[in-house]
Amino acid sequence: MSRRWLAITALLAARVAGAQEPAPAAPAAAASAAENAPGWEVLVGHSYSSARALTQPATFTLEQERGQPLYTVVDAAALLRGSLAPRAWLEMGIRARGGSARPPGERAYGAMARMYGELDPILLAAGYEYLGDGHFDVTQPAATFELTPLGGAPGLGTWVSPALHLRWRPWLGVSWGKGVRPYARLSGECASGRVEAGVETTGWLVHGSGLGFIQGDLSVRLVGGLFATASAEAGRAPPRYEPSGRFGVGLGFRLGPS
Amino acid sequence: MTRKDERGHRWTDLGVERAVIRIVRRLSPGFGRRTITRKTRLHTDLGWDDWYVLRVVKPIRRTLHESLEDRVVLALKTVGDLVNYVWNKMEDA
Repeated sequence: MSRRWLAITALLAARVAGAQEPAPAAPAAAASAAENAPGWEVLVGHSYSSARALTQPATFTLEQERGQPLYTVVDAAALLRGSLAPRAWLEMGIRARGGSARPPGERAYGAMARMYGELDPILLAAGYEYLGDGHFDVTQPAATFELTPLGGAPGLGTWVSPALHLRWRPWLGVSWGKGVRPYARLSGECASGRVEAGVETTGWLVHGSGLGFIQGDLSVRLVGGLFATASAEAGRAPPRYEPSGRFGVGLGFRLGPS
Repeated sequence: MTRKDERGHRWTDLGVERAVIRIVRRLSPGFGRRTITRKTRLHTDLGWDDWYVLRVVKPIRRTLHESLEDRVVLALKTVGDLVNYVWNKMEDA
């Protein structure tokens, strides 16, 4: 199982798009490269802002869960991002989480497609997400609509200062799936040298009762896109929304912008 | 060497660079005047996330009268890339 997932991860690591950024040393070539670029790229281990996504790398970890023995888990995601129009773009992603001793019902699969539009001072996102467990007997297809301010407060979307690499971002959204579910999400990230840490918390209102979910990670860059990682989560994670908690350590891989 | 923006105003390459750096500095209030140069990396040094980098679009449209494309802005790595992109959007005077 692990070999299979690692092979999939390696396959996804092939970047299909050409260089998208302009070359700073040659202005004329820069404009040409930027404007003629195909505008599509693949990112691995990069956040795509789904309920289970964070900026952690794709990971191969040893995990401990409440009342369960130690087991191995592969958590991998790939994101395809490209342009729709000058002021809008599209992201499509898949995410899978499974492991050697993990019961099929505890596995999670996800897919999403989301369109973004920038209307400074806010960003709007409309999308469709699918989350399912290993048996696909608990699934959560949902259309989502979200917004976030682009900036405007200290640390919102940007480091607080050169000495304090800390930033945060709030999201407000609503999903339509099995019922209407408004939610708020807050993420925070900090970095210092080779160390990165992130935390993301989501609160839902389901059938009038509040449900929450929090996940965090700590990564140390070893070389290139390879990380040593520790991650944890607690609360009621989709698609089951049952109380759970876990802690894991292992290796991670990221391809694409940090 | 000068170029014209979308409204026909003339700009030198140095003038564009100064204007862009001024805009970037305004969007990064925690950073000092001398910390932002052409080599400053938007994501790594300033910590701009994927969404925050789009904040340059509006002030550049107001100040330099150039309409930037989001997909290109998202791919920019440094302040120098942004300067080059704006300069190359302008027409030869």
